[in-house]
Amino acid sequence: MDLHLFSQFLISGLIMGVLYCLMSMGINFIYGIMKVINWSMGEFFMIGAFIQYLLLESFIGSEYWYIGVIISACAVFVLGALVQVILIKPMFVGIIEAKMEYVTIITIALAIFLRNLALLIGGPYIYTPPDYAKPTQLLTLPLSGNRLVAFIGALVLLGLFYFFIKKSWTGKAFQGVAQNRAGVQTSGVNVLRYDMLAFGLGTALAGAGGALMAPIFSVHPLCGLAPTIRGFEIIVIAGLGSIPGILVAGLLLGFAESLGSAFISPSFVDIYGFILLVIVLSIKPYGMFGKAERTV
Amino acid sequence: MAMLYMENITVGYVEGIDILRNVSIEIEKNKITGIIGANGSGKSTLLKTIFGFLHPNKGKIVFKDKEIDKSRPYYMKEMGISYMLQEYSTFPELSINDNLLLGAWTFRKDKKRIKKRLSEIYEIFPVLAERKALKAGNLSGGQLRMLSVGKEIMSEPELLLIDEPSVGLQPNIVTEIYDLLIKISKQGTTILIVDQNMLKALEVSDNMYMLDMGQVKQGGPKEDFKDSIRELIKTSLMAD
Repeated sequence: MDLHLFSQFLISGLIMGVLYCLMSMGINFIYGIMKVINWSMGEFFMIGAFIQYLLLESFIGSEYWYIGVIISACAVFVLGALVQVILIKPMFVGIIEAKMEYVTIITIALAIFLRNLALLIGGPYIYTPPDYAKPTQLLTLPLSGNRLVAFIGALVLLGLFYFFIKKSWTGKAFQGVAQNRAGVQTSGVNVLRYDMLAFGLGTALAGAGGALMAPIFSVHPLCGLAPTIRGFEIIVIAGLGSIPGILVAGLLLGFAESLGSAFISPSFVDIYGFILLVIVLSIKPYGMFGKAERTV
Repeated sequence: MAMLYMENITVGYVEGIDILRNVSIEIEKNKITGIIGANGSGKSTLLKTIFGFLHPNKGKIVFKDKEIDKSRPYYMKEMGISYMLQEYSTFPELSINDNLLLGAWTFRKDKKRIKKRLSEIYEIFPVLAERKALKAGNLSGGQLRMLSVGKEIMSEPELLLIDEPSVGLQPNIVTEIYDLLIKISKQGTTILIVDQNMLKALEVSDNMYMLDMGQVKQGGPKEDFKDSIRELIKTSLMAD
């Protein structure tokens, strides 16, 4: 393989890695705040993609795809927050046993419900929104315009999210909730409100991902499945709860898939991530950046 | 006149199992009130109930003439109550400065006040000022306890609830922490302190309550406890 082709695969891995990070960040953020896994993230991704498709086809036109991404993310934020308030919050008020198990069941049920609702409304068809940008070139490398746009969009969203968490008062409160739930309440933070915001924001990241990647993965009821599986793979590789870890693991996964496709076969693209996961866990059982919990 | 009083409070973590039963106490303004008792007597539960982490099944809690027994923790903070948890109430991955800033959450838009309070807190705790950029997770047990106190007094509370300030600390650090609490009390903060270290609690308190199996066994000015404290310690150690 020549250097030109190799660098093309590397860039493709980089782009896909950053895109996967967006999904992982949402899952990780919700887990960090509420200590629950939202198994319906893929469906929020799918809803974001459907809203984007609808907006571009029927309302704003393809040249305003970026406005569509913002609207999709906002709509998914509202939907996520509503789901949290109606289905999940009741488990966090008062002392309730086995609330994590309840949340697991409810988010799996929600995933099945949303997927079937999409099937009922949109049918078993694959919709493809218009291209966001024309194919372009990076130095001598030809690049898909959609991938480049989604890559830049994902980088911007991840950057904004990082600065929001690190620099704003609200972000500090989120960090407080994640690190010491009782301690942050003694500061006067209303944790139930922050649970709702976290669920909304986490799902909004997935929704924005769906809208950004709509022309790449196309839009159909199962389009959130692959990014969700990648999202979970990244979290396990990184170690649950680590933001820098997610970025590193996302890029590694992107490279593994891209180079695996190049050197072995693109038919096994779904397997390379799992091979990477097994290798990392056999060396570092808590993930690359994860920490062992103190038990004694 | 009591700043806060609890009247016939019955509360528990699980339905049907009450940890506190018909507990009534009064906390006088500008005084230190101590709650003593053996492990499992309900001391920490009492503080959690006042701060709204638990809601009583029966009875009422009144703070400055307002019933607060159904309110949640964030509202307590807005009302002027702070709570230093037995477990550290700090954030290990945040810097000392950010920990203190989160203590100013209720007045986060008032930059002037935040700046003033930060410099006052650093004056009280020079050891924290020297390490303000350091992550709280790197501090020793005593320093973490100081950071917890600093964070909780950032908001200049009218009432400070303190749960086991001496637990796990060396005697010289315990003395340092208690000296600080006396200083805070002299600045006009009412304090309700829970401690297994009965002698230390007796030393600093103006009024005291002894809890036993979720009920108030004895209450009143600390002078009433002076003769019986050795007997109480003995009983409590035997109960442990």
